[in-house]
This record gives sequence, C-alpha cells and structure tokens, in this order.
Amino acid sequence: MKTDRVVAPFGLPAEQEAPSPGVRLAPRLWGFAVEYLLALPSGAVLALLWANLWPESYYRATYPIAFAVNDIAMVFFFGWITKEVVEAGLPGGVLHSWRRVALPIALSGVVVVTSVVAYAVAVRVVDQPMLEQAWVSSAAVDLALGYFVARLIFGRAAAAVPFFLLVAISANAIGFGLLALTGSFVEANPGLAVLLMAAALAVAVLLRARRVTSFWPYVLGAGTLSWGALYFGGVHPALALVPIIPFLPHGKRDPGFFVDAEPNAHDTLSRFEIWCRHPAQAALFLFGLVNAGVQVRALENGMFALPMALLLARPLALVAGAGLAVVSGLHLPKAIGWRELIVIGLVSSIGFALALFFASATLGVGQVLNETRMGALFSAIGGFCAVGAAWLLRTGRFAAAR
Amino acid sequence: MFPKRILAVLVAAAALAAFDARIASTAGELPNRASSIKLAVIGDNGTGKRPQYDVADQMTATRSRFPFVLVLMMGDNFYGRQRPADLVEKFDRPYKALLDAGVRFQAALGNHDELHTTEYPPLNMRGRRYYAFAQGNIRFFVLDTNSLDPVQLRWFREELGRTTEAWKIAVFHHPLYSNARRHGSAIDVRTVLEPVLVQHGVTVVFSGHDHIYERITPQQGIHYFVVGSSGQLRRGDLRRTASTAAGYDQDQAFMLVEIDGDELFFETISRTGAAVDSGRILRRPVTSEMEGRHED
Repeated sequence: MKTDRVVAPFGLPAEQEAPSPGVRLAPRLWGFAVEYLLALPSGAVLALLWANLWPESYYRATYPIAFAVNDIAMVFFFGWITKEVVEAGLPGGVLHSWRRVALPIALSGVVVVTSVVAYAVAVRVVDQPMLEQAWVSSAAVDLALGYFVARLIFGRAAAAVPFFLLVAISANAIGFGLLALTGSFVEANPGLAVLLMAAALAVAVLLRARRVTSFWPYVLGAGTLSWGALYFGGVHPALALVPIIPFLPHGKRDPGFFVDAEPNAHDTLSRFEIWCRHPAQAALFLFGLVNAGVQVRALENGMFALPMALLLARPLALVAGAGLAVVSGLHLPKAIGWRELIVIGLVSSIGFALALFFASATLGVGQVLNETRMGALFSAIGGFCAVGAAWLLRTGRFAAAR
Repeated sequence: MFPKRILAVLVAAAALAAFDARIASTAGELPNRASSIKLAVIGDNGTGKRPQYDVADQMTATRSRFPFVLVLMMGDNFYGRQRPADLVEKFDRPYKALLDAGVRFQAALGNHDELHTTEYPPLNMRGRRYYAFAQGNIRFFVLDTNSLDPVQLRWFREELGRTTEAWKIAVFHHPLYSNARRHGSAIDVRTVLEPVLVQHGVTVVFSGHDHIYERITPQQGIHYFVVGSSGQLRRGDLRRTASTAAGYDQDQAFMLVEIDGDELFFETISRTGAAVDSGRILRRPVTSEMEGRHED
C-alpha cells in the first residue's frame, strides 16, 4: 500500500556476506508485514494461538512485559501516527483547510455519541452489563486498517478517503479525551504532571528556536519529560510524543497520508519517520502479542457487543449526522452521497488496534477485558462489510459497473 | 422405539435417585457447634426461575437444623433485566424467609450483574465493586474479577496485610480452577491473583461462573470451590480430572460452611436436599515468610 521504494528492514547493508535462507527470509517477511500493515494482526494471531494452546505460559510471559509494550513501546506508534496528522495539516494535506474539516469533525462527535449509546444497548442485548465499563473502546476508529480499506474501495484520490481520515482522527481525539477523563490506574500527581509537561514543551520550543535538526533531543529530552507528565497526570503515557511531534521541523507540503518519506529527505520530521517506521511496527507486533491473547472457550456473547454496536451505529450516525448538516445549510464534499457515507461508516466501524488500546488502557485483567479485546479484533469485519456494501451500492471502485 | 426411550428415561431416573441416596447416606454431618460461625454459599442464582426458588426453599428448610447467619453470593446475582421489580422477583421473593429471619447476604459481582445492583441494600455491597468484611475470626475479601485492575489488586494486598483475623477467605465470581467444559479456569486472573492468595495465607476461595459444583484438590495449600449452580445449571458440564476432588453437575446446589477455631466444615446440598459433598479443612498457618516479614 505504500510507495514502491525498496525497504531494507533492520538496515542490513547490501554488501554483507550472503546470509543463510532463514536469515534472508526473516527480513523479507518483516518487510512484507510492514508494507501491508500486518504487524499487529500477526502479533494478534500468534497471541490467540499461544493463549489457547498454552495459556499459562502465555500469561506468565506477557503480563510482565505489558507495561513496557503498552506504555513505552507504543509511544513510537503514536508518535508515527502524530507525524501523519501533523503533515496532514500542511498545504496539500487533508487537515489543511478548516472549511474542509468542519463537517467531518462535527460528524465525528455524532459518531462517538451514537457509538457509545449503541454499545450501552448492545451490552444489555447480550446480557453482559459489566461490559459497560469498556465503553471508551466504542469511540475508537482504526486509522491504519481503515485507511487501507478506504483506499482499497475508493482509490487514493477519492474525496471519501480524506473524509474518512478526518472523521477517524477526530473521533479518536475525542476517544483519547474520554480516556483521560476516565482516569488511569496510577495515583495522579497533577502538580508534578503540569511541571513536567511545561518542561517538556519548553525543551521542545527551545530546540525548535535553536533550529536543532536532529530528532533525538526532541524524542529523548522533551519526549521523556512528556512521558513523565502524562504518567503522573493519569493520562496514558503512550501519547508522550503527541505534544512534541508538532515542534519537529518539517517539509513545506504533505507528501500524503501514510506515504513514506523519501530516503533522502532532510527535514527532521521525515528523518524521525524513517527511523521510527520499524520500531513503530515492532511495537504494534508486540502490542498485538501482549494484548490479543484471549482464551476463546472462556468467552461469552459479550465479545459481539462491540462489533455489533459499531457496525450499526457508525453508518447510521454518518448518514443521520450528514442529513442534519445538509438541512442546516452545510454542504457535503463533492462525490460524497449517502452511499459513500454508508460505506465510510462501515469502514470507520473498524476499531481494531485503537479499540484494543483503549480496552487495555481502561480495564483490568478479567472477562470484561477479554471480551472487549475479542470484540476489537472482530470489529475488523467492518472492512469486509464495507467492501460488500460498496459492491452492493455500486460505489467507489465498483461504481464503473453501475 | 417408544417403549425403549421410556425405559431409558426410567433407568436414568432410578440411577440418579440411587446416586443421590448414596451421597446422602455417605455424607458427613456438620458438627453444628454452638460456638461456630455458620454460613451458606450460593452462586449464579439470580434467574428468578423455579430452580432458584427451590434452592432458596431448601436453604430455608436447612436453616432450621443449621442456623446460618450469613449467605455469600458468588455473583450473577441477577440475570436479564434488573429493574427494581426484577430485583424483587430475583432476590427478595425467593430469599424472603431468610431475609425475614435476619440472615445477612454479602454479594460479589458477576458478569451478568449491572453495576447499579451494588447499591441494592440487601446485597450489603454499599456501592462497592470490591470490599472486605469480618465475621468473628474470619475476614472475607470480596473481589470483582470482571475487571481486576491494579488499583483493586493493590487494595487487596494491603487489606490482606492488615488483617488480624485468623481465617482469610476470598470470594469472587470467576474460578481460578475449574474443570467445567464451558468456561473452565480463569487462567489470566489466576496468573495475577494466585501469588497474592498464596503469599498472604488465604485458606479457602469460593467462586461461581461455571454452572456446576466442584471442589478442587488443594492448590498450593488453598482449597478452591466452584459454587455456580444455585439458580443456573449446566447439567453434565463437569469434566472430572485429577484436580477434581468432588463435583456435582446433575442438579442445582448450594453450600453450608461452619468455622470453629482452626477447622472449617462444609456440606454441599442439592436442590432436593441431598448432601453431595462434605469435608473438613484446616486453616493454613500464616508464616512470616508468607507475609514477607522477617523477625529479628
């Protein structure tokens, strides 16, 4: 899905002695997983197999590293995502014009509210009311997988793709806000948190003012302070790089969403992205491995609550919300009608990695977490539903057959 | 064809009756000492259907010979709708005789319970998902294993460390050990919880969730009971293994427990009044090593 540039995973130099077939295969597989966003699904499949075949060893191995993966390694994934969002605000990016973003941002509010309400109903329909504790997960929209599916259906240039991205980014922003409001398992120290965040931002501003072009001082200096600020502030510290990345010097134009930076790019943000690409994917793989292991036989109907709510709520929210907006005098982007809205709604029902993240951040060990995790994985079915709906409604790449 | 089926049903019924009678005749009697603390244990009871009412009636009848003062509820105290009228139908009405007699209920949360039921006064949870309470020389720790978060775990450790009562008994919905086919052991919860139980000298753990009765052979010195068939029942769901000390999955059941000094006696009674299991457990001594303390 990315550029056709040759990737050299793990930075293996080309003139190295010919390694054995096994050693050659591993980087190729890794490169393939990175290119096709398979790092998290691979980790999740491995986790599911492990947790069901050897559950004791799975939990014993993964619990001790959960903090390192979820709260530290995932910093790079969210840093990488933030870089995409920052670039999207540059000329040529989907977030550049506020006139273009107003409607999708407003719709994302409707999407989140409808999803939360639908989820509250769904947990009662499946008679698992304890699952209501996982309600924040119903605000999640998977950006990477959703973007992959949206592009598959509509093509890269279609207006529906940035429309989906805008809805997804702002819905997740609301989700993170809700996550911060619901608190964390750490006893918060607001004074220390404010102090550390002020220091983090001051370091970032200073680095920018001094035109520091290496991303390392931003990441290690300001990023570490920001991590501490979020941790002691009761906000998930995996977001540590979110307030820092906007300070990194960047290019003049957005190269496109999830488009790899050129290998010879010199701006700090692009250098960070080039360095971060593999650590972020490794973090995603480990995140899937640590969080997706669920014993299937222990699950009940609760695992269907999240995908059921998202599949129903999101197309409904987008169509109803857009209808209200049009009645109020706003205009939908060209080439987006109710058919496209339904398909975009189904694409946005993929909670997957973000839903898994929200669940892991808000819930303790036990059935509620397991069923929410499985629901998050199941929500990937929204991608298939979106493709099916696009085919039925003859939209996107299926429009030619109309 | 038809007579053969009738014959099969009659043979099965006769076998079941004989099995019940054999258990009843071999089961031990509770000492029923005047100085002891007496309680009952039920789990997964809140269906509002006939079997729950039958078990409640059997508990009432049993109380005339064994005057328990406390009922521990393993969660899934209510299934389905949980409006005020439903709570009456699924709790107040079946246990009316016990409530009228002043028996105190202490509930844990199951996955089918709505959070607002923690505010329901007869369950004595006072809005808490997890809590501890003492009865004589016993401290009960009622946990919420639907979501065992670090805050709850920290609280549990601190409470265990502070406890001065001789007996420490843990109560929660999801069984750490179970040989039921449907759910089985909650291994994820066990990985987190078992080291704490072992370290702090907990002797007995009561759980529900699987709709059977099962007593597990002691695991690291701890006696585990699954009591999840006091309303619901998953007949034939128990797959006996080496870790099954005793089990019963043919009818609804509840437990009676008597604690006196360092001894705990138990008897498990079926819906029809047959004793399906019984025994005696000695309290685990708490050593300074267990508590992580070192004497000078």
